[in-house]
Amino acid sequence: MSVRSELLVGAARPPRQPASLSGWLDRQSVFSWLMMAPPLLFLAALVGYPFCYGILLSLQDRPVAHPGTFVGLKNFAANFNDPIFWQVTANTFIYTAAATVLKMVGGLALALAMNQQFPLKNLVRALLLLPFIVPTVLSTVAWMWILDPAFSVLNWFLIAVGVPKPGPSWLGNPVLAMVSIIVINTWRGLPFYGITLLAGLQTVPPELYEAATIDGATGWQRFRFVTLPLLQPIILIVTLFSVIFTFADFQLVYVLTHGGPQNATQLFATYAFDIAMGAGQLGRGAAVALAMFPALVLLIAALTVYLRRG
Amino acid sequence: MLGETGSKGMDVTSRRGFLQLAGIGAIGATLGPHLAAAQAKSLTFLHESSFIKTFDEYMQKTLAPAYEKETGVKINYELTSVGSLPTRISTITETGSGADVTMTFFLLPFLFDEKLLDVSDIAEEAGQKQGGWYDSAREAAVVNGKWKVIPFSNIGQLMNWRTDWFAEVGVKKFPETWDELYEAGKKLKAKDHPFGFELGHGFGDNHGWLYPLLWSYGGHEVEADGKTVVIDSDETARAVDFARKFFRDTMLDDVLGWTDVSNNKAFLSEQISCTNNAESILWVAKRDFPEIAKVTDQSMNPAGPKGRFHIMSAISHGIFNFSPQKEEARAFLRWLTDEKQLAGWYASADTYYQPLLHGYDNAPMWQVEPRNIPYRDALANAHLVGWPAPPNRQLAESVAKYVIVDMFAKACAGAATKEVIKNAEVQLKEIYRTA
Repeated sequence: MSVRSELLVGAARPPRQPASLSGWLDRQSVFSWLMMAPPLLFLAALVGYPFCYGILLSLQDRPVAHPGTFVGLKNFAANFNDPIFWQVTANTFIYTAAATVLKMVGGLALALAMNQQFPLKNLVRALLLLPFIVPTVLSTVAWMWILDPAFSVLNWFLIAVGVPKPGPSWLGNPVLAMVSIIVINTWRGLPFYGITLLAGLQTVPPELYEAATIDGATGWQRFRFVTLPLLQPIILIVTLFSVIFTFADFQLVYVLTHGGPQNATQLFATYAFDIAMGAGQLGRGAAVALAMFPALVLLIAALTVYLRRG
Repeated sequence: MLGETGSKGMDVTSRRGFLQLAGIGAIGATLGPHLAAAQAKSLTFLHESSFIKTFDEYMQKTLAPAYEKETGVKINYELTSVGSLPTRISTITETGSGADVTMTFFLLPFLFDEKLLDVSDIAEEAGQKQGGWYDSAREAAVVNGKWKVIPFSNIGQLMNWRTDWFAEVGVKKFPETWDELYEAGKKLKAKDHPFGFELGHGFGDNHGWLYPLLWSYGGHEVEADGKTVVIDSDETARAVDFARKFFRDTMLDDVLGWTDVSNNKAFLSEQISCTNNAESILWVAKRDFPEIAKVTDQSMNPAGPKGRFHIMSAISHGIFNFSPQKEEARAFLRWLTDEKQLAGWYASADTYYQPLLHGYDNAPMWQVEPRNIPYRDALANAHLVGWPAPPNRQLAESVAKYVIVDMFAKACAGAATKEVIKNAEVQLKEIYRTA
């Protein structure tokens, strides 16, 4: 195919000049590849290589600072027999599903609200991005204080309305700890959904709403039959990104709970880190990290197929 | 449009010019550091940033310049943030470059033993000249009969308590046994002065009291052979039962979710009357909360039916065996381990770093703050996590998975003793299957 294309293109070209380095560099095809090469190499070095190396590690018994020996799927079998691994799997799915749904619903509501006309609209839109802009570690430390039993503004409020002292133990109770990290992840990810969906909303032609209004559509019907179908591709793309980021979340849990209490908030990324770096078992850690991969591939494939059909 | 005028200079707006410039930049960036490194004689000494500022400053402003003046070798004291040392050492050992001499702690000498030089000669010489090593120092530094690191100090974890509040319930001297401490704790919690001992996923304050508690009841996770899992015992059950009632009747519920900063914060904000910690609480109290410092004391862990125990969180220094300057690194470590240097470095942090050489048992630094003396006395019965098993990969995995911590934490959260011990046993047997 490429040979034929080249022949066709070549037929339309003027006769070639004698080759020289400067002429060669100035050619469109050469220059464009030279410009593309750095990002491609960058991706191959920083994404492709670590990924392939991760697969290789997961198939080895590879203690840190020691040479590895090939063990096939033994590390994956070890995960299978590890009760914490299954707890981590359940935690990660619950965390991702809950946070993604909350971000999607909340983000859509936020986008619809931001699409209205009100004073200082642009300033409010800019401020909305703050949770997304502030470094995660920094905002998580702030949350640490918000959830602290002694200094918690939440507990201060709850005690003021009659909840017995000292109020809920947000990070000491396994259920509340999971709820807390879901809420913080939602708070942090909401602007990403909100702003992206707002951009989508602004591309919806006003004539469609006018036509729907003339046809007697209610506000809900305009949303259901005009807004939502037109936003659907954007919602899918944003969800795809969000699921990937949430599934592989690390910083929030590492700073706030380190997987505690009793592994109630341990996720794939934090558990893989503990095994690889804490226990020095790079092969086992890689196998835990790669356990995320099949679920993500399935999700990406399903969404891609859905989008193409759309 | 300069790029289109055919200028002969290095015109960055033309494609050719841009590529030439980028090429020169890349070559310069590649060669520059090597050329610079070839000229200067220097060693990189990796260290975790100290909680005590004066400690790092003493190396930067006193020891490193003194060594350079004496030998001409510059010491690059490279600080890494707290908690990042294992990751940093992993990167260095995997790439074979980045530092010559490194600090290690906890189980790191055992995880990285194949990448560390044998420094037995320096360790033995220091022991002979400076009063001999504590037994626990050997436990923390000797791998397969060889000293892989030179022990520097322990950072002990002891009882930090409020003398004024304990006095309110009639306790003037810190309780000698866990049972006595429990009785005091019950009374203190009733007076709204609960205890706070970490039961969450921190780095050290959880293991710091839970392993000694387990040992003091006679429980162990693995036999001295490093293979046989023995966590399921009556002794462990008694320790777990004690921990459950100790938590329920003396502590804040929140300790189940605590990390290492939590108990410092809780003690200094007067939420708790007792915790298990390094000297950092008193250190900060003296600096920022002098009224709290006046009524704070530090004591050894209480004893259980099988004795009194403490955790060994040793800090040591080792040399990477891939260092291109092994002999220079050896000379530096020998110099650093000499009493002339060590005494000053220890003193720069009062006694936050407790020396593991008996020669410092009566050093003047112990008189600066007599309330710190229990940290010295605790060295006599301090052990690494997992004791009496020798440290190995399996132990590192058990610690990284918080098996012992979570066994106690689940019981405190309400699970049955048999169930939590069984869970821990299943996990440990799976971990030690490969030992």
